[in-house]
Order: sequence, then C-alpha cells, then structure tokens
Amino acid sequence: MIKREAVVIGAGPAGLSAAIEAAKRDADVLLIDESLKAGGQLFKQIHKFFGSSAHRSGIRGIDIGKELLEEAKKYGVEIWLNCVATGLFKEKKIAVEKSLDNQNKTAEIIKAEKIVIATGASENAIAFEGWTLPGVMGAGAAQTMANIHNVLPGEKILMIGSGNVGLIVSYQLLQAGAEVVGVLEAAPEIGGYGVHAAKIVRAGVPIHTSTTIVEARGDEKNGVKEAVVCDVDDCWQPIKGQEKIYEVDTITIAAGLKPLMELARMHGCRCDFIPQLGGWLPLHDKNMETTYPGIYVAGDSAGVEEANTALEEGRLAGVAIAESLGYIHSNKASSIKNEIWNRVDGLRLGPFGESRLEAKEKIIKTFQ
Amino acid sequence: MNSYDVVIIGGGVIGTCTAYYLSSKGVKVAVVEKNDIASGTSGKCDGNILINDKKPGFDTLMAYKSQQLFKELEKEIEYNFDYSQRGSLYIIESEDEWDVAREYVDQQVEDGYSMRMLSKKEIHEQEPYLAADIIGGIEIDCDAAINPMLLAYGLAVEAEKSGADFYNHNKVEDIILNKEGSVEAVITDKEKLYTDNIINCAGVWAPKIGKMVGIDIPIKPRQGQILVSEKTFPVGKRKIVEFGYMMAKFGGEDYSRDVSPELEELGIAFVFEPTLENNFLIGSSRAFVGFDTDISFEVMRGLAKRAVRFFPVMENINVIRAYAGLRPYVPDHFPIVSDVKEVPGFYIAAGHEGDGIGLSPITAKLITQMICKDTLSIDVEKLSFSRFSNNQNY
Repeated sequence: MIKREAVVIGAGPAGLSAAIEAAKRDADVLLIDESLKAGGQLFKQIHKFFGSSAHRSGIRGIDIGKELLEEAKKYGVEIWLNCVATGLFKEKKIAVEKSLDNQNKTAEIIKAEKIVIATGASENAIAFEGWTLPGVMGAGAAQTMANIHNVLPGEKILMIGSGNVGLIVSYQLLQAGAEVVGVLEAAPEIGGYGVHAAKIVRAGVPIHTSTTIVEARGDEKNGVKEAVVCDVDDCWQPIKGQEKIYEVDTITIAAGLKPLMELARMHGCRCDFIPQLGGWLPLHDKNMETTYPGIYVAGDSAGVEEANTALEEGRLAGVAIAESLGYIHSNKASSIKNEIWNRVDGLRLGPFGESRLEAKEKIIKTFQ
Repeated sequence: MNSYDVVIIGGGVIGTCTAYYLSSKGVKVAVVEKNDIASGTSGKCDGNILINDKKPGFDTLMAYKSQQLFKELEKEIEYNFDYSQRGSLYIIESEDEWDVAREYVDQQVEDGYSMRMLSKKEIHEQEPYLAADIIGGIEIDCDAAINPMLLAYGLAVEAEKSGADFYNHNKVEDIILNKEGSVEAVITDKEKLYTDNIINCAGVWAPKIGKMVGIDIPIKPRQGQILVSEKTFPVGKRKIVEFGYMMAKFGGEDYSRDVSPELEELGIAFVFEPTLENNFLIGSSRAFVGFDTDISFEVMRGLAKRAVRFFPVMENINVIRAYAGLRPYVPDHFPIVSDVKEVPGFYIAAGHEGDGIGLSPITAKLITQMICKDTLSIDVEKLSFSRFSNNQNY
C-alpha cells in the first residue's frame, strides 16, 4: 500500500490550486487525474473570463491552466496522470487504476492522511426519442472534441440549452467552423449571460425560448439526420402540432451539470440535495472539509459554480490541509482563509451568484 | 384493534414467500418489515436456485423440492422474476478434484438427479472462454436462477391480493407474551399487532427478534461481496462454479486449493452468474465482519483475480458495481425452520446463509404446513430449533 500525506483527486482548477497551496507549505502532495494532461476543463476554455481583476478577468482559462501547471511543478506536487480513482474505501483508502505506459493497467491502494475530492461535475442528459443515436452528445463533450482534440463534432449542430455552457460552446463551435442552426431553451428566458447570448445572435444563430427537442431521427450507422423540436406550454409540456424539423448531423445537450460526488458518498460523507448547486453534493464546512475528518471537497464536486470559485475553494482546502498537518500556524492560516473567503463572496454576487451564495451558506450552516 | 392469525417479521424472500403461501390458504397475515421489501440480504445477493452446492442426501433433496416449487411459482405469480433454468456447471482444476467430483456425481446420479461429468474436450466445446488448463466439469441440469428482488416483490404483490397486510418501515421493538408464555402481540415503532403466531423471518437480524422472547438463536452475519460486470457478450452460458467452492463452503479441512494465502484468507471461490441482460455477477467471498456491508478493495481484487483465472477473457471486461450482503450463518449450515417449544406460537424461518433464495419456497411451504397443521413435505428434524439445546456441539 502506497502512503501519502495528502492526495488530491482531480487536476482541474480546484484540484491544482489545492495541491499547490498545500505543497507550497511543504506538505507531501500527490495529485491524480484520469486524463493524459492536467488542467481539467481549463484547457477547453479558450474564452476570456469575466469578473474583477482579482479574478483574472480577461484571462483565458487555457492560460490559467498553464500557470497552475507551472506552479504545481515549482512546489514539487507529484502528478500521476492516466490514473483513475475507482473507489474511496474505509479509512481514507483510495483505489486507483494506474496505467503509466498506457498499456498495462495496475490497481493500487493509496492510504492518505488528507484527501481532496476535486472531481468536478458531469453533464446532465435529457431523454427523448432517439437520444442514444450517434451524434447526440453533451455540449461539454463537443467542446472537448473541438478545443482539445481539434475534431469538429459535426457540421450542422443544434444546441439544446441556453445556459452559459450552451451559449459559449455554440460560439466556439461557430469559431471552429460548424454551422449552429439554433439554440433551444425550454424556459421562457435565456439562461446564460446576455453578453454570451448577444455574441451568437450577432453571428446569426437564433435562440428559441419555450422550445424543446422531442425527437432525434436517423440511424445507428449514419447517426443523426434530423431533429424534431416543439414549442412548450407554461408547464414545459410540448404543444402537439407545433413540431418543426431541423436538418442536422449533431445535437448537443447543455442541460446543466451535476457534482461528481460518488467518492464522497462511498466513504459515507454526508450528502444533501441542493438544486441551486446541481443536486446531490457532500456537505462541507468553511475549510471545505466534509463530515468525515480529513476528507475535503472543492470545485464543482462541492456544488456546480464556475472556474474562479473552484480555484478559490481549492485554495481553501489546500491551506486547511497544510494547517491541519501542522505546516502553517492556525493564526496565519485563518488570515489567509479569510482573504480567500472575501474573494469567494465577491464571486457570489449579482443575480447569478446570490442563489449560490444562499445555498452555500445553508450547507455550512447545516454542517454545524 | 389490528389482529392477525400470523405476523411475519421480515420482508425478504423468506418472509414474502411465507406470506404468499399462508395468505393463499386463507390465513390472515401481516408482514412487518423495518425498511422495505428485499432491503436486507435479499437485495444484496445473487439469485441461485441450486442443488449443485448441496451435500448429497437431505441437503440436496430440500433444494430439489424447492426448485420444483419455483417452477410452480413462475406460473402462479403474475410478476416476472427472471426465472431461467439454464443448468449449472462445476469446473474442475485438478486430478484430486476430479476424483472427489466423480464420487459426488455417482452418488447424486444414484439418488436420481440428472447430472454428468464432462471431459476436458466436452467442457471446452461448451464453454469456449474457459481457461485452457481446466480438466473437466460437472453438468447439472436442474439448476436455475432468478432475480431475488423481483421475486420478493412478486410474492408480496400476490400475498397482498390474497389479503395480506404489509407494514413496511415498521421496526419491531418488542413482542408481548401472555400469562401462559404464548405469543400475544408484536409492537413496532408505529403499530401494535395482536396475533397468536409469529414467524421470525428476519435473517441475520433473527437473533435480535429471538431475544425479545428470551431465546438465543445462533445466527451470525457472514458478509459476502459480489461484482457486477458491464453488459457484454455471453462469457459463460449458465451458472458456473469452481469445484473448490463446495470445499470453501463446508470448510473441508483436508482439502486445499492451489490459491494464494490472500484468496484463502478472504474465503474467495469463483461463482459466475449470467443475468438475462448479459451483465454477469461474480462471487463469492465469506467473512465475519459483524453487520458491516461496506465493500473492500482487497475482496474486489480477489474476486476479479479468481474470475480471470477461470475466464482469462474477463481481464478486459469492466466491473460497474460491487456490493456486499450479510448471509445468515448457522454453525451446522442448516437453516432453522421450526417452532419453538419454549414459546408457543413463535416460529423461526431463518439461517439459510447463502441458500436463502433457493430455499425460500420450501422453507415457506414447511412453515405454512406447520401453522396449518398439514403434512410436512420433508422431515424437518435437522432444521429444528431444538437441535441447538440437545447438542452442545453446535
């Protein structure tokens, strides 16, 4: 059995910043990730971030990713890539499937004193007739294909969902050379930021509110050929007779994200259903520690928000771990954590942030 | 006032099947279950309807009678519980095992059961994915499989149709005896149910219920873990068990398999069960760890290793899930299907360890016959509760 002081699961913004903050203060940190490259979703984010200058507005996710990787290297974070955490067993034992040469897989157990679960989120699916046909995919998956692997997922694309993911990915698919025939939104209003919506509307992509997909037509061999869409009534039910048909080869679904919290649940960390943050998630305190001492959670797996919040939550977890391992005095730690909390509160302002702020405050209160 | 002819404690396969047989005879039955139907052992096991893991004689006879009852249940119950009679196969690794197996088959054939030895050539023709060094097997025709959760639900639905009442999410807190020491009522956290007869079908929790009437039931929880594969091609055609399983089960002291000390310590023996959806289940492990139902990495790895030893092709098939259940272990490996002399009106139908699913109909039938004072299908002396007081060696 391999032993480590701190193991961070997931090398996205939350995991990287947690690893950096702990390693910077001399903790022995192992960071694992299932991908071939660290950075999580950051390397897909070729757009500029918003927010205050403290949160690197105007900087692209991809560049933040590069900076974090350099920092992690500088502070000696050990990184295992192509390494999947398959389970979290009793007393903080992490089962991993490791495949260093990409050929021979081995299963191992890592016993960790401290664990950060920074596994991110998974895309919600919506079920409709034909939803398993080739060509129906998550918007995040389409973004990975286009921005990471440089493969265009399709030529004529229909986007389902007008949250920020739906809007941004639509724009990026346009940039990559696809035609986006439209964005559907079942709600009566556009879900994401106006600025993102305006960008794609200017590019000629219509956004249809109170509209949903009812069927994908095509066949298993050639994939999607048509999308049947329909207006919905006040109760979000399709209005019969209002169907329209789009000729498309790809249907991308941006119906929100949910926290990947299985590892926490498997270990018995108490979870609760918080719809504003994506659904089931592990409860945590202000140190990002779950109900099981020594297991922390950060980023989307602690409630779906955005990259900056994930970075800050990761930092909180990293500092708290360094503190509990005795690498930093608690007075010093408190003042650093307070600074981070001030920034996090700043990120949860405005109409989009308020409900998340309320939900997070409720989590911390429930925890106590 | 809620009053019943019989109150059954436990909504697993034993409890629901007993409720089904009793209520179909017009007996007024209540089932009290602390969680929900099949939420205990019946929801955390596999679906064996086997004679292949029984010793020749009484053990096999009881299992065989139960198999016949399953064939009736499949017709009687509206709910489809995935019954399939695909037979079973023992795989034999060594000449030593072959000799023991030969003896076993000769005995069973003499007793009238349909089974035969398979040569190396035959077994590899029938099961092409089997490891090349397997020297032979035993093919058993009558063995079958079901889905235990669907079975329990199906039985509960039928029992309800015949008037049985189900008190789910009712935790039994006490049992009241009358002045003569006979059963009078069951107290749950929500209800008081008056009755002259209680059947303790609480499996691993049966001793707790026993304590409420002042008796010691020697059942201990024994944990078993199971892996579930992804949906795949039919790796094996039927229930497949390593012959060493029988040895592991009965703890044959003079017999040792060619396995690592780790596998031996974890009590791992290969059991394969294909489901109708072409996922498959991989067992089996045995451990006394109290009421712990957490899976462990070591056991998962051990199960997988043993499976790959027999089916090398499984190396490239993913496991999608693992779960652990508690088997009600009794030291002499026989269930307790019995009245209790000390407490008139109190019956026990529990302690089947890994055989509860397969033996549920015969158990329920016997208890029903006892309550209705009908002729018993088989001699139940070996299943009696009094065997524990008569013989301290248990």
